[in-house]
Amino acid sequence: MNLRLLALLPLLVLAGCKPTAQELKIGVSAPMTGDISAIGQSTKNAIAIAQEEINAGGGIKVGDKLVKVRFVIEDDENKPESTATVFQKLINQDKVLAIIGSQTSKCSNAGAPIAEAAGIPQVTPWSTNPNVTKGRKFIFRACFIDPFQGRVVAQFATEKLKAKTAAVVYDVASDYNKGIAEVFRDEFTKMGGKIVGFETYNTKDTDFSAQFTKIKGGKPDVIFLPNYFNEVPLQIQQARKLGITATMLGGDGWDNPELVKLGGAVMNGAYFSNHYSPDIDNPIAKAFIATYQTRFKIVPDAAAALTYDCAQLLFKAMATAGKADSRAIREALAVTKGFQGVTGGITYAGSGDPVKGAVVIKVENGKFVFDSAVNP
Amino acid sequence: MDTVIQQLFNAAQLGAVYALIALGYSMVYGIIRLINFAHGDIFMLGGFIGLLLTTHLGWLPFYLMMPLAMLLTALAGVAIERVAYRRLRHAQRMSVVITTLGVGIFLENLVRLTVGPETRQLPARLPTAPVLWLQNTLGAFVTWDKLLIILLSLALMAILWLVINKTLVGTAMRAVADNKDVVPLMGVNLNLIIAATFAIGSALAAAGGIFYGQAYSIDPYMGIDLGWKAFIAAVIGGIGSIEGAVLGSFLLAGVEVLTVAYLSSNLKNGIAFGLLILLLLVWPSGIMGKPMLKKV
Repeated sequence: MNLRLLALLPLLVLAGCKPTAQELKIGVSAPMTGDISAIGQSTKNAIAIAQEEINAGGGIKVGDKLVKVRFVIEDDENKPESTATVFQKLINQDKVLAIIGSQTSKCSNAGAPIAEAAGIPQVTPWSTNPNVTKGRKFIFRACFIDPFQGRVVAQFATEKLKAKTAAVVYDVASDYNKGIAEVFRDEFTKMGGKIVGFETYNTKDTDFSAQFTKIKGGKPDVIFLPNYFNEVPLQIQQARKLGITATMLGGDGWDNPELVKLGGAVMNGAYFSNHYSPDIDNPIAKAFIATYQTRFKIVPDAAAALTYDCAQLLFKAMATAGKADSRAIREALAVTKGFQGVTGGITYAGSGDPVKGAVVIKVENGKFVFDSAVNP
Repeated sequence: MDTVIQQLFNAAQLGAVYALIALGYSMVYGIIRLINFAHGDIFMLGGFIGLLLTTHLGWLPFYLMMPLAMLLTALAGVAIERVAYRRLRHAQRMSVVITTLGVGIFLENLVRLTVGPETRQLPARLPTAPVLWLQNTLGAFVTWDKLLIILLSLALMAILWLVINKTLVGTAMRAVADNKDVVPLMGVNLNLIIAATFAIGSALAAAGGIFYGQAYSIDPYMGIDLGWKAFIAAVIGGIGSIEGAVLGSFLLAGVEVLTVAYLSSNLKNGIAFGLLILLLLVWPSGIMGKPMLKKV
């Protein structure tokens, strides 16, 4: 046997040993590039603050000593196939204890089976599609789910806006958009409204004029666009250019500063449901928003706030577990009760979905203004 | 009824942009039998050059910005041909096709790194008020920018037709397309003619990119999908044929828009491309294409 190989043997033995925890590693899967890279940036910003804050206090108590936390951020490009690769890398190569991510439902859904099989707890900040956690033990989320959000918007449209007719245009190739669109359709009909148009398009389509022209014939009072912030302004603009005057409504996918940067005045007067509003009176939120604003010069969007909450949820679960063990962290996470975060209280009761309220935000002069709060 | 006419305007606008891209595919194929898969990304590049000119040289009026962007994109097209394709003119067909794909990926990432990955829009420089005359007579709500985009595109296509059929360069192009081995013996500078073809094709694609950025939006990856659509339109019309590229583009856009309008938006691509496959079964070399003769 080659002597040089023999010299490597001790290393192999070392690698096989269970390491005494020198740092607690948490993986993050986020869309750092691609169509919604702005959300990846929000994720990275929130993680940076969470990591600094926890390590400034020495870290988390594991056994009888404090251990620092380290985040490993990987780019999933907002593509399900890349997310699967990222999850595998985080679990097998980086040996993370838990994963935060991904942001969109289609990506979280691609990563979840991998985390579930490996017994690694996954907490997604922003994935609102019900299927992400359904029937899974290790998958949690910090946000409400689409059936609730769809109902909030339908209720807002019928009660506050007195809308009788509505139309929906959504991306049929994305789990999030499709799920919330269908809930809105059912809830709005149940509340006595009429759906006069239910049109689809495919991710990356940029011409929506045929769909909107078709809808125009039905004269809807409101148009629900449960799509992402990088497409919505273009959709509204095309609708306006076709002479449509209906009030525009959306979901939490709208919440990013890019929405008004891209849309400008065309976004004014539109409403969307969201996880939190920066105007809300909550000391934890106020502290986070202040730190975020001084450091990054912008107001944190919901994705940033939720990512920060995910990190805090994991810190708390790790402290409760008291050891660097994924299964113990999962057990501690599952019984989280009365956790107070930036986006409100989180309690898990038997599933990975918290019971949480929502807010409705109005776009006014290029700013997001708190309109009303809805509790489940 | 009013929505029918509005839908036709939607289709015309989309078809006009498809045509501006498809022409480049068809012209280059006609001259050197090369399918330039980077052409969709040239279209994207044109849109971004337009964006940079409007944001950094805000005082430049649209009628100057557009020719300038077309010129710059034409230079980029010529440079790409000179650097990446010319040396491969006598290489295996496959090597050149792979090179065009590589150039496309290079352009996408160049723009992504320098300008950023976000979706953007060209600042509106064309009036967006509705055309009152159309509203009063036909009851169709059509904005001025939509009408202007359609008319300007048709004007560019008319100019192209004149260049190809009435000028010396155009005559040389048609001669090269007919036989690129014999024509140089008559004293025609082959490299110059090929460069001119790339320049014209790229300039038209740039116009398409600017119109697209005004009407819809632009992002570094938009050339992939739209490039395919335009390529397919060129094949339907008969690749190598100028009139065919225009016809195929309006046909594709019309089928797409009308499928959404009267059938289902879910079936848009399925029905559009199903129909195009049927068309190709009837005319295997495209509606206006000539059957290819193999020279021995």
